[in-house]
Amino acid sequence: MNHPDECLQCGTCVTVCPVEMVGGHAIVTFLADPDATDYSVWLCTSCWRCQEACPGGVSIYELMMEQRRREEAPAGYRAAFESVLACGLALQVPQEELDQMRAAWGLEPTRLPPPGLARALLCAEDGDRW
Amino acid sequence: MPEYEVAARAVLRALGIELEIVQQATCCGSPVVESFTADWVYLAAYNLALVEQMGHSTIVTVCGGCTNTLTRAARALQDPDLRAEVNHRLESLGLSVTGRVEVRHLVRLLAEREEKVRARIVHPLSLRVALTNPCQVFRPGDIMGFDDPMEPQSLRRLVELTGAEVVEYGGEDECCGATLYLASPDLALAAGRRKLEAVQEADLLLHGCGNCQLLLRRFQRMIVRDERNLRKPALLLPQLVGLAMGLPEGELGLREGTWR
Repeated sequence: MNHPDECLQCGTCVTVCPVEMVGGHAIVTFLADPDATDYSVWLCTSCWRCQEACPGGVSIYELMMEQRRREEAPAGYRAAFESVLACGLALQVPQEELDQMRAAWGLEPTRLPPPGLARALLCAEDGDRW
Repeated sequence: MPEYEVAARAVLRALGIELEIVQQATCCGSPVVESFTADWVYLAAYNLALVEQMGHSTIVTVCGGCTNTLTRAARALQDPDLRAEVNHRLESLGLSVTGRVEVRHLVRLLAEREEKVRARIVHPLSLRVALTNPCQVFRPGDIMGFDDPMEPQSLRRLVELTGAEVVEYGGEDECCGATLYLASPDLALAAGRRKLEAVQEADLLLHGCGNCQLLLRRFQRMIVRDERNLRKPALLLPQLVGLAMGLPEGELGLREGTWR
């Protein structure tokens, strides 16, 4: 990943990052120190605090997402994405089970999206990339 | 998390707002789909198109991630070139999108009706509450356009409307751990533990996002295991507001007398 020119390496992003607060190292570790290797873009929680606080106006969120698309994903992310492609939802639930659960809570029925819809929307132009 | 929908519907009904479910909606796409493809916006746009097809101008969300993704997609769709490409792909489904749908997280919807909520409070609560701000509802500030992006106050103000006292513990904007769980379960549970240790003065945890509730309530036993002293009840915002409105526990997705 290229270190962004606009980054001042001031470390403000590190001080506001909730992942750094619990001992993890996210993309902000790399921004503050371009030589750092002990960090993962997959730990970002998408909270946008670093970008909001950045005095250099770096588009940290987009930088993080672009790097994710170049890397191998952790199992949890991969499984959730495969599920979205297959059924449109990150966590698969059969229609019958959903109907029973919603009825038990007194909620109106909800129809699930047609299978394959998410895959078609995401892959329409590019064939089956995934 | 059906109890969130149950409680949100009950509170909004008391304020004169009826919700209609978006049939055949998909996952909004973030952060999972966005992590794999820049085309995430097509999936978000599909959901916005369903709302437009229903003839509605607002979609209500109870998840920070959906709020953030759908709002950013609606903004992105203001670009005519992208909108044309998206509509080309939606055409075969008989759908089209303008991106002019307003996305309203429940926290914002209630915060924008503060006086109406205040007028409905009939049973002020005597509770000490530790809250966690939903992280994706307020930022990026220039797109979400609501509250102070770095120090949001709307959730705290809503909790105070119920009569409950907000316990300041310094971790209001710290991570609940839910999104972290996808990449690192250990770090996620450490984040949850850090919160539970910090809020011991409070009677309960209060969440405005289903993901926070998932990690800190459903996964709480994985975090504290045998340390019963660290356990805390956890409520969702509309459950707390509903109790203060005098709505029965059963209508708020709470089992009577057992949530404390």
